[in-house]
Amino acid sequence: MALLLAALGLYLILDAANIAVPGSTNQVGPRFFPYLIGGVVVATGVALAVRVWRGDQGPADESEDVDPDAPTSWREVGIISVAFLAHALLINVVGWPLAVTLMFATVAWALGARGIVRPLIAGGIASVVVWIVFVKALNVALPGGTILEWLTDWF
Amino acid sequence: MGALGDLAEGFSTALTPQNLLFALLGVLLGTAVGVLPGIGPAMTVALLLPVTYVLEPTSAFIMFAGIYYGGMYGGSTTSILLNTPGESSSIMTALEGNKMARAGRGSAALATAALGSFVAGTIATLLLALLAPTVVDLAIGITAADYFAICVLSFVAVATVLGASPLRGLASLGIGLYLGLVGTDVLTGQERFTIGVPQLSDGIDVVVVAVGLFAVGEALYVASRLRRGPVQVMGTSGAWFTGADLRRSWKPWLRGTAFGFPLGAMPAGGAEIPTFLSYATERKLSKHPEEFGKGAIEGVAGPEAANNAAAAGVLVPLLTLGIPTSATAAIILAAFQGYGIQTGPTLLTTESGLVWTLIASLLIGNFMLLVLNLPLVGVWVKLLRIPRPYLYAGILMFASLGSYAVNADPLDLVLLLVIGLLGFFMRRYGWPVAPAVIGLILGPIAETNLRRALAISGGDLSVLVDRWVSRVVLALALLALLGPIVLRLVRGPRATPEELQEAGTLQRPVAAGRDRGDDGAEEDR
Repeated sequence: MALLLAALGLYLILDAANIAVPGSTNQVGPRFFPYLIGGVVVATGVALAVRVWRGDQGPADESEDVDPDAPTSWREVGIISVAFLAHALLINVVGWPLAVTLMFATVAWALGARGIVRPLIAGGIASVVVWIVFVKALNVALPGGTILEWLTDWF
Repeated sequence: MGALGDLAEGFSTALTPQNLLFALLGVLLGTAVGVLPGIGPAMTVALLLPVTYVLEPTSAFIMFAGIYYGGMYGGSTTSILLNTPGESSSIMTALEGNKMARAGRGSAALATAALGSFVAGTIATLLLALLAPTVVDLAIGITAADYFAICVLSFVAVATVLGASPLRGLASLGIGLYLGLVGTDVLTGQERFTIGVPQLSDGIDVVVVAVGLFAVGEALYVASRLRRGPVQVMGTSGAWFTGADLRRSWKPWLRGTAFGFPLGAMPAGGAEIPTFLSYATERKLSKHPEEFGKGAIEGVAGPEAANNAAAAGVLVPLLTLGIPTSATAAIILAAFQGYGIQTGPTLLTTESGLVWTLIASLLIGNFMLLVLNLPLVGVWVKLLRIPRPYLYAGILMFASLGSYAVNADPLDLVLLLVIGLLGFFMRRYGWPVAPAVIGLILGPIAETNLRRALAISGGDLSVLVDRWVSRVVLALALLALLGPIVLRLVRGPRATPEELQEAGTLQRPVAAGRDRGDDGAEEDR
């Protein structure tokens, strides 16, 4: 993490050199602040890397539902990330409610919800209700998918 | 008393039936979302921000005021009734409140928290109303260089004073500053760090970053280490709030307010330090010190009041200077920007009606919370029992809704996932998330003022320390940056609040790590 941060700082400094500066200005241009931040970020990254290398560990975040003794399980993180990415790509194809239903069910299943049908039904009901509330009552722009938009056209 | 007149005008706007309805809606939504485990006030506000986009500014901010106080309120209910620790500012409440609930005094704990929040919230909001015009008068003369210095102080304070590891706070701040740079430079119109993606030239939306870091990051993190098995929720049975409880509570409420408001208004705002100070003070002053650690009502009343007073205190720098000192405040500032409202010292004059309506709504929302929450506690208890797989799936659903609604572009959702993964790794390796959000919002403001100051001086850097205001503020920033390093060299690693609390609680020599959230160990005692 610390090394990645230092790399980010280097990128900031190197790429800042590519920012076009309008020729006429003799003032402080758009490169100055990126250089400043890049410098701070590199210094922080290097200092943190040294500290971590010496054995300093940050306190992992706490939350009501986190088991402090559990090791990190990468399986859930992977499944949820893939499910979320898939739903992002599906929204404009099958509509928000259906894409979210699939994502909802996959996430609930990965986190240990019983069965497959129940998460699907729960996700379906939740997403359709939310869609109707936000699109029909609050006029938020969310694609509903062909069937749902046709069914609720009379609203 | 110009402030009171303005406030009365704010009330006249906020008290129309329609606006009262928005306040009620905000309070209910804020409490409902805030009560959900794993969702702190900042995430509540971030998730509900897109909801307010469809409203006109006045209604939106009235609703927002309700969400802000409701979210704070919901968090304390969670920490009292759920057998696990929550967000940092309510740890103290959790410790004593939980023990009270365990001993069958759950209703009394909830009542003292509710009444204490109300008392502290009301006093602190009135202080905010009285103080804000004075601070604005002081701030009206500050220059761009002074303003930059204040930004630097808040950066340093947020990154190093809060949290256990100052270096990790700085790291998180750096990420936020970087995210704030992406997009088109306001002053010259040049694209920066957009890596050739046209959608990035508008910058990364604050909603996407906040929801990504808080909601998606939290969901991924919890998923990686989910506490399996049934959820343990405390009952709310037992004797109600008695006269004896009131006699033991009212002084802690007032002392908590006295800690919370001024410390919340400092550049290193936030509620962690005042709640901790309040807890320590109450333990020292109590006539029943033996009850502390076993469910002392003063230990709920004081910190809870401090928590809410700090929430109002944070609004002082936000509304008078445009400086956010907590993640929640940063998101509120983003909401102002979303409506094209210029924040800063001029806000109180240009948007006078809006600001006073907001303050009046805070008072109204606070009152609604008191009236609503004690009868509704049964509903909140049900919310606490939501099966966790569905809870986190639902959080992701709302994250998707909010981020997609901003631009109707699936790319925002991919970005949301990337930032969510970043939030996950930050949590995993103990980097605080709040400094990143503050860096994102405050970074561009700091840059604009820095460049404005340097443009006036013709590039001469000495303009930054030209006036005594800048000098003092920058010196404070330097102190906040180097202070922890010096202290570490002198006294060894800094103790976390939990360790201090452990050290103070003499009768329980338990290792700090075991005390937090381990059900088995708590049952044995």
